[in-house]
Amino acid sequence: MWYNYPMMIRVMLSILACKLCRRALRLLGRGGTDFPGRVALKLCPNVLGVLAKNVTTVLVTGTNGKTTTSRMIEQVLADAGISYFANKSGANLLSGVTAEFAAHSTLTGKCKYDYALIEADEAAFKAISRFVDARVVAVTNVFRDQLDRYGEVSHTLDNIRIGISHSKHAVLCLNADDSLSGSLGEGVDNQVLYYGVDTPIYKTRVAELSDAPYCLHCKHAYVYDYVTYGHLGGYRCPNCGYRRPTPQVSVAKVLVSDAQCSKVEFALDGKTVPATINLPGGYNIYNAATAMAVAQALELDPKQAAQSLGAFSCGFGRMERFDIRGASLRMILIKNPAGCNQVLNFLTDTAEPFVFVACLNDRAQDGKDVSWIWDVDFERLVAMEQLTKIVVSGVRADDMAMRFKYAGMPTDKIEVIRDYSQLVKSLIQEDKPVYIMPTYTAMLGLRGVISKEYGFKAFWE
Amino acid sequence: MELKICHLYPDILNLYGDRGNILCMEQRLKWRGIDVVTTGVSVGEALKAADFDLFFIGGGQDFEQEVLLPDLAAGKTAELKAAIEDGAPVLAICGGYQMLGAYYKTWDGQQCDFTGALDLYTEGSPDRMIGNYAFTCEELGVNVVGFENHSGKTYLGSGVKPLGRVLKGFGNNGSDGTEGARYKNVFATYSHGCLLPKNPVLCDHILKTALARKYGSCDLQPLDDTLEQNAHQYMEHRLLSSN
Repeated sequence: MWYNYPMMIRVMLSILACKLCRRALRLLGRGGTDFPGRVALKLCPNVLGVLAKNVTTVLVTGTNGKTTTSRMIEQVLADAGISYFANKSGANLLSGVTAEFAAHSTLTGKCKYDYALIEADEAAFKAISRFVDARVVAVTNVFRDQLDRYGEVSHTLDNIRIGISHSKHAVLCLNADDSLSGSLGEGVDNQVLYYGVDTPIYKTRVAELSDAPYCLHCKHAYVYDYVTYGHLGGYRCPNCGYRRPTPQVSVAKVLVSDAQCSKVEFALDGKTVPATINLPGGYNIYNAATAMAVAQALELDPKQAAQSLGAFSCGFGRMERFDIRGASLRMILIKNPAGCNQVLNFLTDTAEPFVFVACLNDRAQDGKDVSWIWDVDFERLVAMEQLTKIVVSGVRADDMAMRFKYAGMPTDKIEVIRDYSQLVKSLIQEDKPVYIMPTYTAMLGLRGVISKEYGFKAFWE
Repeated sequence: MELKICHLYPDILNLYGDRGNILCMEQRLKWRGIDVVTTGVSVGEALKAADFDLFFIGGGQDFEQEVLLPDLAAGKTAELKAAIEDGAPVLAICGGYQMLGAYYKTWDGQQCDFTGALDLYTEGSPDRMIGNYAFTCEELGVNVVGFENHSGKTYLGSGVKPLGRVLKGFGNNGSDGTEGARYKNVFATYSHGCLLPKNPVLCDHILKTALARKYGSCDLQPLDDTLEQNAHQYMEHRLLSSN
């Protein structure tokens, strides 16, 4: 009930201004969510707290897999008949999340939905969780990411820890296989649900650097019973005893992992639940496990949740498929070595010949420092028999071309096409599947061209 | 001919792209028919400096630095110092560069003693110096482009020279215009990650130094560096034409 009238007017003004800004931007053909959110926060700094009150909120954060995991959870919510909204267009900072809540509320700040599914940037999570009293907080993993933006992994971990300290009422869904983010369950009063993968995923793995070779607590080297990818797996510290906790939601078996999908068996509550995950790649098995843990935290039927994993669609540069005039383009967003290596792991398992495209930009959202491309095992890519050609694009196309040269690709098989329109025009001539790996702003640029010139949806629709 | 490269602490000092420098040295030797073997030497493994022709030390995260200090003191420091005095070529980057100095003092006053192989020291500051940058290296007559990301400010003593003069960016400390350090055959810089691929002249100079020390005088046959020069010139132009 409203009784603080000046406050009420302030909140309403803030929401109105946010909605109007958003409408105006749409009319101009632009999809920004950052600016409307900033306007709202300027007019009423705690507007998000008002908007998120009485909404059951699931917050998803972590380095890799936030968006895909959110789309999986979204399908689970939809199939369970829950009324929800989600921040779909990657508006995952405080301003964007505020704008999304405002857009889905009435002018008096009442949300039109029962649930909110919010993907939160790992650095912005602590600011968002100050205002949003989440029911569930899911952390996908912590990997080294754009160092210029997030700093060292321990810094990212500390930020998430602070965010969790604001979330007193949340069930925490944590990755048991990640020695970094798994530690977030230590010393908290929250209910913790660990999820994990009990078995190796890939037949062969690319050479990866571990982002966490030494024990978080005593700095002794870990011993692994098995590794799934990166630093994830069955770790234990022989010195202090810190080890992988037993997950309550686990992938007990990986039955199939091919270019189209993965088939797995979940073990939870002493039951076996089979699932088909309709996105390929071992990292998506983890994303699915996160989604299953969230379903468990929300007390939803696991069998139905598992079915949702076979029905969800992702898009927005996560194995997103564009079929244009007979050509098949798949777009996979890249931002750090761990994520990029997982895509290469996936490609090693594909049998048919393909064209590989890398679009490297170095704007703030991509990470200004592009040196991480040297930590990716592109040597493995270049050695794949199925690889027929490499095309590079983006602001730092020259760095990318040079990277492939040093990985052993003959320079006459490395093509540089800087213009996105030219690039797409050239790629749709290919008779083989084309895998495009763009950084964030390169993806927006490429999607812009594809939507404008070939009639696909714009990103905010 | 063959070069033996020692990669010190490859599992700890491997921040963003340091592997690229090793790859670059290896490939540029192989393309010229020179054999190369790289060996990682990490915590708990003995370093016998006489076994190697070239040393590479990369940058690391603060978290893991504590793992490394006792290990250095347990024998590697003495080996490394003797090798440096003897003229062994060393390329040290960012954290590895700081590690060759006398100490690192955090901005709240705690002091961490390092190897003291080079006459320099580093002080932490609350701000990070981040971004693409460029410096001119008079010794080689070229500009070097790279990316720096450090909060430590390094100050050179009289016993060492800077590797270059900052053209754009921060360099050693953001105030005295110096970047990196040169001493005997040590090349140290804040340019982390893929320094060498984009600066092939610097890479070849270091390789030549190592080969000359091992085999007497040495000429490296030229390579087609079109892609390298494209990447170099793009960044040089972007940094230096803007003002």
